[in-house]
Amino acid sequence: MGERTTPELLPGTLYMLILRTLRGGALHGYAIAKRVKESSNEDLIIEDGSLYPALNRMLVKGWLSAEWGISENNRKARFYSLTTEGRKQLEEESEDFERLVRAIRLVMKTA
Amino acid sequence: MSFWKEAARRVSYLPFRSRFDRELDDELQFHIETRADELEQAGASRTAALGQARRELGPTARVREDVRSAWQFRWLEDLLADLRYAARGLRRNPAFALTAIACLGLGIGANTTMFSIAAEVLFSQPSVRDAQSVDLVNIGGNSHSPMYGYHFIREAGIFTDVVGENENMETNWRHGDATDRLFAILVTDNFFQATGVPLAMGRPILPGDSSAVVISYQLWQSRLGGDPNVIGRRLVLDGRPFMVSGVLPRDHRTLFGFGFAPDLYMLAPDDKRPVMLFARLPEGMTRQIAEARLLALCRQLDAIHPHEAWDQGVSVTATAGLARITGNQGTMAVAAFFAMLMVVVGLVLAIACANVASLLLARASSRSHELAIRLSIGAGRGRIIRHLFAESLLLALIGTAAGLCLNIGLTALLSRIRLPLPVPIQFVITPDQRLLGYSIATALGTSLVAGLFPAIRATRGGISTLLKQGERQISGWWSLRSMLVTGQLAISIVLLSAAVLFVRNLVDSATMNPGFDIQHTVWASMRLVPESYPDSKRVRLLTDDALERLRTIPGVEAASIAQVVPLNDSMNYQMSVKTDLDGTPHVLRWNGNEVGPDYFKTMRIPILAGREFLPGDKTGTQPVAIINQEMARALFGDHDPVGHVAWFGSKQPVQIAGVARNSKYMTLGEENKPGVYYPYAQQDVAPVNLHFLIRATGNPTAILSGVHTRLHGVDSTAALEVKTMQQGLGLALLPSRAGAIILGSMGLLGLALASIGLYGVLLYSVSRRVREIGLRMALGATPGAVLKLVVRQSASLTVVGVAIGLAISIFAVRPLAMFLNPEVHTGSPTNFVIVAAFLSAVAMAATVAPAVRAARVDPVVALRE
Repeated sequence: MGERTTPELLPGTLYMLILRTLRGGALHGYAIAKRVKESSNEDLIIEDGSLYPALNRMLVKGWLSAEWGISENNRKARFYSLTTEGRKQLEEESEDFERLVRAIRLVMKTA
Repeated sequence: MSFWKEAARRVSYLPFRSRFDRELDDELQFHIETRADELEQAGASRTAALGQARRELGPTARVREDVRSAWQFRWLEDLLADLRYAARGLRRNPAFALTAIACLGLGIGANTTMFSIAAEVLFSQPSVRDAQSVDLVNIGGNSHSPMYGYHFIREAGIFTDVVGENENMETNWRHGDATDRLFAILVTDNFFQATGVPLAMGRPILPGDSSAVVISYQLWQSRLGGDPNVIGRRLVLDGRPFMVSGVLPRDHRTLFGFGFAPDLYMLAPDDKRPVMLFARLPEGMTRQIAEARLLALCRQLDAIHPHEAWDQGVSVTATAGLARITGNQGTMAVAAFFAMLMVVVGLVLAIACANVASLLLARASSRSHELAIRLSIGAGRGRIIRHLFAESLLLALIGTAAGLCLNIGLTALLSRIRLPLPVPIQFVITPDQRLLGYSIATALGTSLVAGLFPAIRATRGGISTLLKQGERQISGWWSLRSMLVTGQLAISIVLLSAAVLFVRNLVDSATMNPGFDIQHTVWASMRLVPESYPDSKRVRLLTDDALERLRTIPGVEAASIAQVVPLNDSMNYQMSVKTDLDGTPHVLRWNGNEVGPDYFKTMRIPILAGREFLPGDKTGTQPVAIINQEMARALFGDHDPVGHVAWFGSKQPVQIAGVARNSKYMTLGEENKPGVYYPYAQQDVAPVNLHFLIRATGNPTAILSGVHTRLHGVDSTAALEVKTMQQGLGLALLPSRAGAIILGSMGLLGLALASIGLYGVLLYSVSRRVREIGLRMALGATPGAVLKLVVRQSASLTVVGVAIGLAISIFAVRPLAMFLNPEVHTGSPTNFVIVAAFLSAVAMAATVAPAVRAARVDPVVALRE
């Protein structure tokens, strides 16, 4: 941990990233972390220690559902997928995020 | 909304916690292995890869904790752990735990049971469809109306439906060789359709179905042995065959209310008997509108049947709920009685809660040392408070559960008891959820406040103050505990003052003289089938025959017959009476009875002047009467009434044959009332309900079977009940005794609770001062001085508590006078003195015992403690 300097995740964006990653279909925890890392060109890294608590909090909120299945390396793994509520949450969060980013950019340009 | 969904998800995970933990481990293991696989492919060795993967994930224990807290298992697990710890603590200190649980259990049990009874008697609904719309209808100021009134109102159509019932019906049920008297309600033919009385099985009585009966669950279960094929079974009632068409459910409540529980319903055979009217009001019609329209209807009825004043006393009252009570004077008295009982049991609960509060307070402050140590080794303040909270919660839960068990047991017992009264009364009492909720809330509230308050206070000062103070008294003189002691004393005084009054009332009633002998008399009631005795002559022949046979039983001194048996039933009149002495009418309230020859000899009522009735006093001879002393005094003053003529109301004039000594007619507690006895054989009609009174020379139980055989021999179709007068009257006195017993036992319960609480609290507070006492003695105080100090402190608490209690009781017990014999005075100082003296004695005993022990302790030992 902490060998490379990576930008800190903005607070509250972890849920959104997980939701976005799962939009394509069910994934297990490791795959979620890997996907986030890869698609951000290794700029965003979800700390392994915070991934599972976050996933469970999302289960409690009802955004995700979990099921046991067999992974690509033939191991028993827990696969997470979006629920209807999760999809709704993703839409809301990405909209909010877009607005926030636009606003920040605007301020950064003008001020 | 989403909050509840979340909560539901959390709760649904609870039972699978261990599986959940296992699965989380699997998941983390999978994560590590997959990452290791990747690293291995990149060229690392397996061991190095695994190590790297583990390091990246971080400590699994922390991840596991974080995941778990996401589901918020922690607070629940902590609570469970606290409860377990509390349970261990209570087990270690069983005396404390048992006292607290017993206090709460008794208080809650008594309270809920009383409420259940009151709710059943006062607020229960009759078992009819939509009871809110069924009302009692009174016209002409009478409870019952003649059938033409019923037909008239029903045909006028202002109500959705009108039904009539007569609940004064008895019938002889002949089965095999035996004949039993059953209580029936006669109903109009539309009764079941209009009221929608639910049945447990079978079908209701339909119009014109004059040979069908609907029987009660109790009759079915007891005397018909729960026969599964009871529907269609033949019953011979008063010589006529009937068929059981339906069975009422166990919890059937009649429209008449007040627990009246007849054995069966049958159709009124003719229009001769008056009926009580019940109407179903159309939707939207208020009682005011109904009454106005009914009044108009009664005026029309007056035109058809003049001189009956049908338009007087017209009312429409509810049959269910509170409205029934406010609409009826007699019911108000019952309600007042129950209100008082509720206050009494409320006080008992208050004492119980005060006990628990002081016990918990005492316990918490005695543990301040333990708390300080726990604080100093790192326990959070919230954690300690939560732990104390768990202990109170556990106590409250167990105590409430004990109370609940008591309530269920008591109410089940009460529901089974068939009150030994002349009419069948049976209450369907079920534990009441509403009051149970209230009691649980009170118990929880008290134990939580009492548990939390000291916990917060004990942890407020921080570690150093706690350790320094150790076991010493934390608060000042008027601490919360002192206030509890005084408050408890005050409440106990009020409760005991009421209880003492009722106990004295009970004692007075038991020793009161009814004016006749009940030790050696047997009372045999015999009901003849009316259809078999169409004319009075046959009844009279049978009566004479029966008396003749009864007198031949060995051990029988005398036998007679009476219309009513005093203290069981009575006939009251209010009429104007005049005599040939002055001719001016006196309006008197008096009791009447028709009695046979030898009645006064049988009952041992002395004839003071004139003579007893003779066999010759019968129809066709000079009408005579015997009056009692009170009547003689009212009518004739100092003159000898014998031989004079008197007119009682519109009855024919009678010659006074004798004067009998005063005796009681309605209740033992009544003041002496004027009374008149007429010869049994001079009545116009001969009733089919016969009450034989037989006097035994020795033990009356010895002749019971002889009486039964002789009377059975006279007419085997008659329903017979033979018992000693003692049995008969003891039971008839039950209603007045019940109140005294309930209140007396409540008072004793309150006393026991208050004494336990008082003793416990005082004992505890003195024993906690052992160190202080040791210090004082080390500094030179004598044991006597120490004793004086401790006693003085307790005494001032006691005096304040007793004074407050007495001040309240003097006013609080005053309204009780209406439930007591006139001889028992609510203001009598002896009552208060007894109560105050008793509680003061308990308080002193609780103080002196530990103080003496403390004073004997070696100062060195005390200081080291």
